[in-house]
Amino acid sequence: MVQIYNDYKDHADFLTVYVREAHPTDEWQMKSNVKDDVCYAQPKTLAQRVAIANDFIKRFNYPIAFGVDDIDNAANDAYSAWPERFYIIDESGRIAYRGGMGPFHYNPDEVRGWLAARYGEVKHDPPAPASAAPVASLSSPK
Amino acid sequence: MTLFWKWAIGVFLVLLLVVFLLLCKMAGGPKDAYGMLRYALPHMHRGNLKVGDDAPDARLLSLDGANHFHIRERTGARPLVVIFGSYT
Repeated sequence: MVQIYNDYKDHADFLTVYVREAHPTDEWQMKSNVKDDVCYAQPKTLAQRVAIANDFIKRFNYPIAFGVDDIDNAANDAYSAWPERFYIIDESGRIAYRGGMGPFHYNPDEVRGWLAARYGEVKHDPPAPASAAPVASLSSPK
Repeated sequence: MTLFWKWAIGVFLVLLLVVFLLLCKMAGGPKDAYGMLRYALPHMHRGNLKVGDDAPDARLLSLDGANHFHIRERTGARPLVVIFGSYT
């Protein structure tokens, strides 16, 4: 997603909305969370949620603009976002793209496709072999 | 209890077991299947939004914890790509 942001930030705005945790330690924690040392309980206060969001930003040097959903999960509920989802809102304030529900239907390529259809494709050299370090990605399946 | 009802309950229990085993396979194990049923399903909503609808507004907090802003404040001049998710 960061690559898409870098490719199209001159044409579109990007906003990350941080919602309730997908796999906190006190609910459904996955083995991959333990392996990647991403172990947090479900925040009970907004301050706790903001602290976890800041940990994410620092760990991955995440460049995209960020907003944290209130603890009553208003943004999450309005957009049926949990655990993860993409939207594109056009200039008139309407939904131009609604992504599938993560993790199985969470598809950054569809976002790239929408942006490419409007602003042209941005090509890259083939990626280098994957390193051992985890990649910055909100709630992406491992 | 009549034979019919015994069979009906038996078939129902077998179906439940099959569904749970399928969930275990999908989720990666019995613990994950339980986690999916207990914690994930209640929060997974398809929702009613569709392309063409007005984008809902919601208040967000900035990362410094001090300032609020609204999603709709970021729309208007250019398309806005919104990425919903969490660290875990």
